[in-house]
Amino acid sequence: MIKFKIVTPEGSVYEDEILQCTIPTQDGEITVLPNHIPLVSILKIGEIKFRDKDGEHAIALAGGFLEVRGGNELIILADNAERAEEIDIERAEEARKHAEELLKKADQTADIDFARIQAAMERELNRIRVGKRWKNLR
Amino acid sequence: MTEMKTMPVNTKAINRRIKSVKNTKKITKAMEMVAASKMRKATQAALNTREYAGLAWDLLVKLSKKENESLPLLKMRPVKKMLVILITSNRGLCGSFNSNIIKKTSQALADKKNISKHRLPGGEEIAGSENIEIDVIAVGKKGIRYCKKMGYNVIAAYTDISEAPKLDNIMPLSKTVIDDYISEKYDKVVVAYTDFRSSLVQEAKLRQVLPVSQVDIEKMLSDIGGQDFAGQERAEIEKIKVAEYLFEPNKKEVLSVVLPRLVETQIYQALLESCASEHSARMLAMRNASEAADEMIDDLTLTFNKARQAAITQEISEIVGGVAALE
Repeated sequence: MIKFKIVTPEGSVYEDEILQCTIPTQDGEITVLPNHIPLVSILKIGEIKFRDKDGEHAIALAGGFLEVRGGNELIILADNAERAEEIDIERAEEARKHAEELLKKADQTADIDFARIQAAMERELNRIRVGKRWKNLR
Repeated sequence: MTEMKTMPVNTKAINRRIKSVKNTKKITKAMEMVAASKMRKATQAALNTREYAGLAWDLLVKLSKKENESLPLLKMRPVKKMLVILITSNRGLCGSFNSNIIKKTSQALADKKNISKHRLPGGEEIAGSENIEIDVIAVGKKGIRYCKKMGYNVIAAYTDISEAPKLDNIMPLSKTVIDDYISEKYDKVVVAYTDFRSSLVQEAKLRQVLPVSQVDIEKMLSDIGGQDFAGQERAEIEKIKVAEYLFEPNKKEVLSVVLPRLVETQIYQALLESCASEHSARMLAMRNASEAADEMIDDLTLTFNKARQAAITQEISEIVGGVAALE
């Protein structure tokens, strides 16, 4: 069993004991099993999949970093995270469309805004993807 | 006798006063309740951030333990120009909330030598200088007005941050701050905010944001979670051997992701604390106002009754007088 915790600046998203966890890191996807060595890694946008005694679960992740502590502890500090079953796909779709429109309008030379909107769109796309996949599984 | 004559008019006027005070009381009572519920939400949000801030800080301590990487956000420079993020409220009617933070900021900024020095862990200091320039980023309308009056240069103003701020709301702010620090436009960044201790006690404070300072973050963490939180976490770190950690892709990369997050979280935390403080200050101010209205209504009712009684007595004595004159 691994003690698993995922926190964002806006609060704790999930905290429980799990069996294994698959996480998208910058260098590729990794799976953390019990007795993993202490590790710190940067995460990218994607999907966290983990298995506990009730089955498989998914979380949409918008980047962050992870820490595996000795003694079977996995902590994920996420910029933003949402449990798949809680994702409101319709609203995510709306947010994506909104970002897309902004992106079209945005002046490409103002790269700060452009990058921000693009990141927002990527985030929404990821939420939609994770949310839909989860729905299909059920 | 003249006073007696005007009585009938007077009772009417008093009645009107009572009605208007009662209406005011209804408003203050409602505002008190709204502020109380907003305060609860804001305190919860501030509490929620603590865990993230604590864990991110642990990570930083681990990372910077062995070798001190020379990252731009950690680099201390002699201060020539500094930036103050002043967090005030958009609206008034919140007691001394704004005047407290403004007073504290004025005092701190007046002592230029003190505010421009760098503090190192272990009590050492790098001396500051008298000749520094100060720019301000104002969050909240009240702060802008103050800066204009005092002649500080306001480089940006944020007045559209909602009452339940999300991390996204302060992203533009923290990005400006981080970019300007890296480009060496500013050599030190502090945030002036109101620390929420309890619904009765709030304290105006200044904390260093950049360069990322061990002294200030540790103080902030112990302030928010109570001393136990920080102390216990610290002890845990000591037990874990940092050398055993694997860093992917490497230490420097991880640090360069963790540091901006810490800065963001610190500013976000300051904003949430200020928000909770504002609402609790407003709640208290409104409660006092409601109580004052109650007292006023009591006083006015008494005066009203006296005046009414006096008018009746006068009328009777006039009638009796009239009858006596006829006989």
